[in-house]
Amino acid sequence: MQYPDRDRLEDVADAILVGRAVDGDTGAFETLIRRHGPLMRAYTARIVGSMADADDVVQDAFHTAWRRLPELRDPAAVRPWLMRIASRLAFSSLRRKPAEVELPDLESALPADTQPENIAVRNAQLRALSAALDTLPEDQRRCWLLREVGELSYDDIAQEMELPTATVRGKLARARASIYAQMEGWR
Amino acid sequence: MNDNEPRTLDCGKTVEELSAYLAAGRTPSDPRIETCPECLNALQGLARVSQLFQDLITQDVADLPAPPANWFQDIMTNIHREVRAGRSLPLPHPDTRVDLSVTEGAVLALIRTVGDTVPGLLIGTSHLEGNVEEPGAPVDVSVTASVLWNHPIPDAAHTLRALISDALATHTALNITAINITIEDLHRETTDSDKET
Repeated sequence: MQYPDRDRLEDVADAILVGRAVDGDTGAFETLIRRHGPLMRAYTARIVGSMADADDVVQDAFHTAWRRLPELRDPAAVRPWLMRIASRLAFSSLRRKPAEVELPDLESALPADTQPENIAVRNAQLRALSAALDTLPEDQRRCWLLREVGELSYDDIAQEMELPTATVRGKLARARASIYAQMEGWR
Repeated sequence: MNDNEPRTLDCGKTVEELSAYLAAGRTPSDPRIETCPECLNALQGLARVSQLFQDLITQDVADLPAPPANWFQDIMTNIHREVRAGRSLPLPHPDTRVDLSVTEGAVLALIRTVGDTVPGLLIGTSHLEGNVEEPGAPVDVSVTASVLWNHPIPDAAHTLRALISDALATHTALNITAINITIEDLHRETTDSDKET
C-alpha cells in the first residue's frame, strides 16, 4: 500500500503532480519521472553523446528538480523546466570532461517496419540531421535543443543562456540555416 | 557542397536571411519573400527541419535502452532522504513536561490520503495558512484538486471538505476556520478500462 494511487496519478495533469510533489509526495514525483524521464534521457544523450553519461546527468537533474521544485512558478510548465535543468547539467558535464570521446552514432538498429526503402531513406535523413546537429557550435546547438526539445520560448532561452533575446533568435536562425544547408542532399 | 558561406538563392536572398525571417514569425511580412517561389520553397524546407528534428528525437526515445538497474531506485532513495517536514505543529499533552508535535508535512500527507479516497478526486497541493505553530491560532486550509471527467464537482467538494475537517480534528489541535477547495483541473482515465475490471 505504498503508492495506492500510482495508476490514478498517471491520469492527472503535471500541475497537480507538481503541487503534490512540492508538498512532499514522492509518489507524484515518481510519476513525473516516468512521464518525462524518457524524453530527458534522449535529449541529454544528444548533448553529452553517451547514454551512460546521459543517465547520470538525468539522475542529477531529477534530484536537483526535487529540491528546487518549490521554486517553480508555473507548475504546468514543469517539462520545459526539467529540460532546462537537464540541459544546464549536461553542458556543464561536457565542460568538466574534455572531449575524450567522439560522439557515437546514436541511431543503432533500424526499427522494424514493412517498407524497408522508405525506412532506409528516412534513417539516412535522420543520420544526416544528427550529423548536422553535431557540427553546430555549442551555443547554437544549445539554443536549438532548448527550443526544439525543451520547447522554451526565446525569452526563456535568453534568460537561461544569459544572452539578449535578439542574439538567441539570431543563433537559432543560423543553426536552422546551417542544418538546412547540410541536409541539402536529403530534401 | 557543404561550405560555411551563407548560401545565396538565385533571387539574391540568403538562407540565413530566410531563416531569420522564419525565426521572427514571418513578421513584418516581406512581400518580396512571400511572392518569390524560391524563397517560399526554402522557407518550407527550413520549417521542415523542425519536423525532421522532432522525428529524430521521437526515434531516439523509441530506441532508448532501459536505464541501468538501479537508476530509478537511486533517484527515489535520494529523494526520500530529503523529506519536506515544514513547520512543527504543537499537540496538547496532559503532561506539560511533554513536548508533542506533528510536522506540517505529515498533516499535508494526511490531507492527501483522505482526499484521494473521494471517488474521482485527486488532491493537488495543500496549504495551511495561519500561524500553525501557535496553539489555537486560526488556520485556513486551502487545497486544489483534479476531478475525474463526468464526476459531479459539488458532491466531491462537499465530501472532501467533511473528510478533511474530520481528519484534522482527529489528528491535530488546529483551530480550522475555513477549508477552501479549488478544483483546478479535470482529468480523464487514460488507463485501458478493459483491463481495469
